[in-house]
Order: sequence, then C-alpha cells, then structure tokens
Amino acid sequence: MKMLLTSVASLAVLVSGAKAQESMVFTSWGGTTQDAQIEAWAEPFSSESGINVLQDGPTDYGKLKAMVEADGVSWDVVDVEGDYAIQAGEQDLLEPLDFSVIDKTDLDERFVTDHSVGSFYYSFVIGCNEGAVSECPKTWADLFDTDKFPGKRTFYKWSAPGVIEAALLADGVSPDALYPLDLDRAFAKLDTIKDDIIWWSGGAQSQQLLASAEAPFGSFWNGRLSALSESGVPVSMSWDQNITAADSLVVPKGAKNKDAAMRFIAYATSPEAQAKMAELTGYAPINTKSPELMDEDRAATLPDRQTETQVNADMAYWAKNRDAIASRWYAWQTE
Amino acid sequence: MSSLTESRSVTGRQGGRRMPRLFGEVGPALPAFLLIVFFFVAPVVALLLRSVLEPVPGLQNYETLLGSATYIGVFANTFIVSTVVTAAALAIGFPVAWALVVMPMTWSRIVFAILILSMWTNLLARTYAWMVLLQRTGLINKMLMAVGLTDEPLTLVNNLTGVTIGMTYIMLPFVILPLYGVISNIDKAVLRAAALCGANRWQALTRVLLPLAAPGMAAGGLMVFVMSLGYFVTPALLGGTSNMMLAELIAQLVQSLTDWGLGSAAAFVLLLSTLVLYGLMLKFFGTSRLGGQ
Amino acid sequence: MLLDFDRLGWWRWALGGFTAAVAAFLLLPIVFIAALSFGSSQWLIFPPPSWTTRWYSELFADQRWLDAALNSLKIGLVVTVLSVVIGLAASFALVRGRFRGRETLKALFLTPMILPVVVLAVALYAFFLRLGINGTMTGFVIAHLLVALPFSILALTTALEGFDKSIEDAAILCGASPFEAKMRVTLPGISAGLFSAAIFSFLTSWDEVVLAIFMASPTLQTLPVRIWSTLRQDLTPVVASVSTLLVLVTIVLMLLVALIRKGLSKP
Repeated sequence: MKMLLTSVASLAVLVSGAKAQESMVFTSWGGTTQDAQIEAWAEPFSSESGINVLQDGPTDYGKLKAMVEADGVSWDVVDVEGDYAIQAGEQDLLEPLDFSVIDKTDLDERFVTDHSVGSFYYSFVIGCNEGAVSECPKTWADLFDTDKFPGKRTFYKWSAPGVIEAALLADGVSPDALYPLDLDRAFAKLDTIKDDIIWWSGGAQSQQLLASAEAPFGSFWNGRLSALSESGVPVSMSWDQNITAADSLVVPKGAKNKDAAMRFIAYATSPEAQAKMAELTGYAPINTKSPELMDEDRAATLPDRQTETQVNADMAYWAKNRDAIASRWYAWQTE
Repeated sequence: MSSLTESRSVTGRQGGRRMPRLFGEVGPALPAFLLIVFFFVAPVVALLLRSVLEPVPGLQNYETLLGSATYIGVFANTFIVSTVVTAAALAIGFPVAWALVVMPMTWSRIVFAILILSMWTNLLARTYAWMVLLQRTGLINKMLMAVGLTDEPLTLVNNLTGVTIGMTYIMLPFVILPLYGVISNIDKAVLRAAALCGANRWQALTRVLLPLAAPGMAAGGLMVFVMSLGYFVTPALLGGTSNMMLAELIAQLVQSLTDWGLGSAAAFVLLLSTLVLYGLMLKFFGTSRLGGQ
Repeated sequence: MLLDFDRLGWWRWALGGFTAAVAAFLLLPIVFIAALSFGSSQWLIFPPPSWTTRWYSELFADQRWLDAALNSLKIGLVVTVLSVVIGLAASFALVRGRFRGRETLKALFLTPMILPVVVLAVALYAFFLRLGINGTMTGFVIAHLLVALPFSILALTTALEGFDKSIEDAAILCGASPFEAKMRVTLPGISAGLFSAAIFSFLTSWDEVVLAIFMASPTLQTLPVRIWSTLRQDLTPVVASVSTLLVLVTIVLMLLVALIRKGLSKP
C-alpha cells in the first residue's frame, strides 16, 4: 500500500506541470498548409501578443460538434471549409465574431459571415506528373476520359465542393447552369471512372500520390501543386475551369479563450499575414490589401488571377444541401 | 501495507475468524478490482446503455445496423478478413513453429530474435512500412514486375488485400509462439512409434503431428481471430474507402458523425462476438493459454 | 521422426527454406523502414534518387517530437510502476487465496486484454469527457494501466504459482514478519516474473495508439499519437526516421532483456 501511495504521489508530481502563460488552440488541416499558418500567423502573433498558440489537427467536424454539445471545447480557432462555416453558424455551433476586434473593411466580402471570415481561398485544378505520362489531361473532360488517358486518377475523398462540379463540367454542363447540382448526372458520370479513382483524404497524400505516380493525374488544391513543383517534381497544372472554394476561420461555441481567439483571427486576416500566407502556400489571400504587398511574380500564380474560365463553387448552396449530398456521396463510395 | 500481508497460512491457523481471513485473502486484489470496475466495467456498460437509450429508448439502433446493406457489408468485411488472416497465420505459422522445434539451436535463436523484434517494433512503424511497400509504385510491385509475375502493378493497398497482408504480418508471432510451446511438448517417441509402425512422413504429419498440435492451433487461431475482429490501426491505414471494417465504423460513427447510439450498438455487436469467442476459449483451453507470451 | 532434424530427409530443406522465407518476410518492413529513412525522396519514392540524413536533422530540430517521446516515456514509467504493484497484489490474492470465484476474478482481470481496444477507447472517451480528464496525464495513465495490468497479472500469477511457498513459510517460522518474508524471500524468488511484468507493461503503454488517439489533446501528445497524425496529415519521411529509432530502442530493450534473463538464471 505504501508503494502504491508513493507512486500515486509521484504521479501527482508529474501531472502538476501547469503553465501560467496565456495560450489558445488553433486547429487546422495539418501538413504544409498548417505549417504555413504557423509561420505566417501563429508565430508572429505569439511574439506580438505574448499568447502561446497551441496547434491541433486535423479539423474534424464531428469532433467539433461533440465538443460543443458536451461543453468540453478544447479548440479556440478552427480552420474549416467555407460551406461548413455557414452551416455550422446556422446550427448554433459557433460563436459570433467580434468585428470590433476583427477589421473586416478590407476583407473579401464573399467570405465574411456573422460567424466566420475567410482563411484563404484555393482552386481545384488539374495536376499531372509530366515525368510519368506522355500526355497530360488539360480539361475536366480529359480527366474523365479513361480511353484517352488510361491509368489511375485521384480525387478528394470527402463530400465537399469540387468533385461533383468537376464531373458535371466534364459531362458538358455549362458553368452558369451548375447549380442546383444535378446529382444523378454527376454520379452517373463518376460511375464511368469509379474503378480508376484513388481517393486522397488530405493534401499531403495527394502530393505523394502524384509525385510517386501512384496516380499520375487528378484534381488537386492548387497550393499543393505549387509546393510539389518547388520540391523538384515535374508537375503541370491546368487552370481550365478551375473550381474555387474557400476555407474559413471560426470559433466554436463555448471556446475557452474567446478573446485570444478574436485577436488571433484579427491578426490572421490582416493584409501582412494574408500576404505572407499566400506567398508560402500559393493560395489566394482574402484580404484585398494583400496582393499589393506581394512579390508580383508570386501574385501572378494565385487563383485570383486565373479568373478567365474560373468557376466559383456556390457555398450557400452547399451549406444548405451539405448533409443530403454527404449521405449520398458516402453511400456511393462504399457501393 | 496491510493489504500486502494476506493469507496467514502459518499464523492464521490459530486465528480462525472467517471474515478477516477472507478479507486478508481477497484484499490485495482490491485495487485492481476497483480499477477494473470503475474504469472498465462501468464505462463499457454505460456505453452499451447508450445503444438502447439514444436518441430515444428502443432497439432502433440495432434495426438500423442490421437492416442496412452498408453496415452488413462492414460486418461481412470484418469476418472475411479475420477468417483469411487466421487461416493464413495458421498455415504459415505451423511450419515455422515446427521448424523452430527441430532446428539446430543457433538457427532457431536467430528466428526467435526476428520474431520478437517484429512483435515489439512499434505497430505504426510496421504498418507505415507496408503502406509504402505495397503501393502501385512500391518495392513489392517493382519486384513482382521484375521477375515477370505481373505485367502491370497490382493494387495491393487501400483495399482489403492490403489489410489482409498487414494483419497477417502482425498476427504471425501470436500464432508461432504458442504453437512452438505445444509442439515442443509433444513426445518425440510418439512419432518414432508411428515410424516403427510403418507410417511414412506424410502419414505421420497428417495422422500424428497435426492432430497433436490441433488444440494449440485452435487456441492460437481463435485468439488471432478475436484480435482481428476488433483491429483498428491496420485497417484504418491500409484499407480503402469502400471497404471499412467494424472498428473503423465504430470510430467513425462516434467521432466524425457523433452518432453515439449507433456507434454504441456497433460496439456492442463487436463486444458480444468477442466475449462469445472468449468464453469458448476459456471453456476449452482454460486461462493458462491466453496471452501469447 | 518428424521432430528429429536429422531424420527429416529432404523435408528439412523445405521446412528450413520456408522458415527462412517467413523470417525474411518478418524482417522486410523493419529493414525497409531504415532504408527509407535515409532516402532523399520527400514523396517516398523507393529506391530513392540519393541518400541523405536530412530527415533525422528535421526530426531532431523539431521540439514537438522530443516532447511527444518524453510524454510517452513518463506515462510508460508511471504505468509500469502502478501495473507491477497493483498486479503483484492482485496476483497474491489470485494464487494464494482460497476464496470462491477466484477463476472468475482472474477472467475479469484479463478481460481488458481480449476486449477489442476500440470498444474500450470509445467507452473511456465518453466517460473521460464527463470527468474532464481526456488528454490529461491522469487520463492516459488510467487508460494504459487498464490494458497493461492483464499482462502484469498473467506474468506474476505464473511466477507465483511456480514459487515454492514453503520457503516463505520457513522464513516466517524463523522469525521474519510475513511482510518481511515476502519482500526478502518471495520477491527475489519471482524476480523474472516481475521483470516480464514490467517490460510488458511498459511496452503496452509505450506502443499504445488506439486509446491515445481518442483521448489526444493538443497539450499532451504521446509518440504514437504524433506518428499517427503525421501519417494521416503529412506523409513526411521524418516518420521513417522516428520509426527507425524506435526499432533501435526495441533492439536495445531486447538485448537488455537477454542480459538480465541471463543474470537472473544464475543463482
């Protein structure tokens, strides 16, 4: 018994290593994107404010909901997809943002709601490993053409804006007639290539699949492709009908460090922080003042310059139909 | 300290009051007992209650689970993979265990060292290696293509093939080590007698050695099967999108979909299958063979 | 015949060849991971274009990996101590006690070993969410203790069953207190069992990943949780270098076990 007590006591000593410094938790998608968010936002924010920013991830909407419902929220700021931000706001899962702390005058208003502001915005583009194939698909129709381009292709695994739009565009739907989405038609088109799809569940995996030529082409977040070509992989990128979507920053309802969270978001959406983030990742800034702070060569490669054939995913439509599409999407995937 | 001084078989004979003696004997088990009851039995029972209470009392979660083709598919995947893994582990494990018994010491020591190294190496590290090895552009496919076994790369990962390979790899030591114990306890004279009676090697193997090793194979096989049913890490990393296994389903229902009712029901199905098999094992082999040390 | 190596005839070559192949299969991922960790390809292309120690430098430059390893070590050590102490007490009761229901009690103690760990993980996650100890040191220790304890009890009951109790009784007759007799006679007598209990408890906690993933918090990550999340989010070859170091740790541990077993077997 004495031994037991001593070990319990030593346990107590180990447990009590409490920190006094103010801190908050930022949750994002991991990998190179979160590394960039650390470098562009979290580190300068910490040295400016003295608030320690702990990192967690990956973002998991189920976990977020569970934490809010159990009133055990351990995340303070979360990077989520834009359509989810709208939906979660309507479901009362988020704190309203404090716009007396966050300056929204220069923020791209497409990405601002009561409960969220844009984090960065990106395009789904067609990527191809030029070292692995003789010819690269240039359009969504090419990517869905297994006769002309045999082999595996990779798409985003989760139910989110992007793949369904790509299938419809490949099937000849004109961009202005995309919404409401014709799901029957989209799944029929996806059925034609289903056996040749390898799904990627995160950005790093998409890069690995392409670089190792597991799947020599597919649909990717543009920033991940820029990172790949910088690492020396011969990657080509087709911006034809690139599909844009945005990530948003939100604060879960009941977050423990709300004030710190607001200050963090204010910093992350500032022109400088957004410019830095865009430079590091190749994603577009959501602060309209940022591009002028950036190196012109770099700014020219961002999604906000590729507007000619650009298709904007309809976030409001997705927010409304998210759950219905998701249940059909996952059922189709397991078929 | 008093809890350590139990069972006074020397001094206790003069004593004789029943309760204190009983307490002295059971008392030391109390910390373990309390730990298991509070942090194991209670949470598991609470979880199972959720399966019939959430979102409303009733059996609807079980109806959903057993009435949907998707979930039935998950159960089928789980049982098929567990069966194949068990069969493969036994088929590969038996000759190895046998070889370990008969091999010269120097060699068997090396094989034992490899077995232990593989078993003690971090599970994630081993699974990660298989992730990379089994890719379409991975080493295994390159080797298969180099020796001409296949013309184009096989899809060995992100599907049940990958899960089966990875799990057989992990389960092998759990079959080989107990089987080694069983075979090394077989009396060599029995086999010599079989030879004297005119049995050839094949007959000696099928009529004598295999039947004598059978209880060990059954115990090892059952253990591997039970472990496979609830395996989470390997299927999650080596499996694909369209063929989930039960443990992953439970995790997804609870964590990503926050459907505690359905998740608990799935957990209960897994728990029940395990306990039934565990009960069988106890009945036939006693507690001594469990553990695979 | 079949159990005599010399009389196996050509079967011995078949058996030996097969065993060698299986040994190679068991060794393959371990050797491969070490090779991969020195490959220069960030995208896990193998064989790699060239060789590098870059992933090791990245690993050692990243404080988060070191923190995770220290957390795992701390949790593992606390779990080991508690598991051996509680397991030893329970084993005395199970082996020496003559109360009814002993077998049932033992079966209950061993259940966490056989129960699918994902069920326990989900159950504990829900329970700890209420207690507010998810992702704390206490939470990790309790969870890992539950799965380590059966191994400890198994090793210690076996050791105690093999220990001749009359030696302990003799010490008591010679004037030692029952506690003293246990400390100075019985414990040294079952030191091999204590040692296996400690090793298995530590390894169980050190490698445990499923319970940990469910409970993980940003403030306290164990090494397996960090590997797991890196595998899921970021396939960097740093994971290969961590894995290689873990293999080295295993080898050191195996040598240690071999040495200590050797030492223990000498009287």
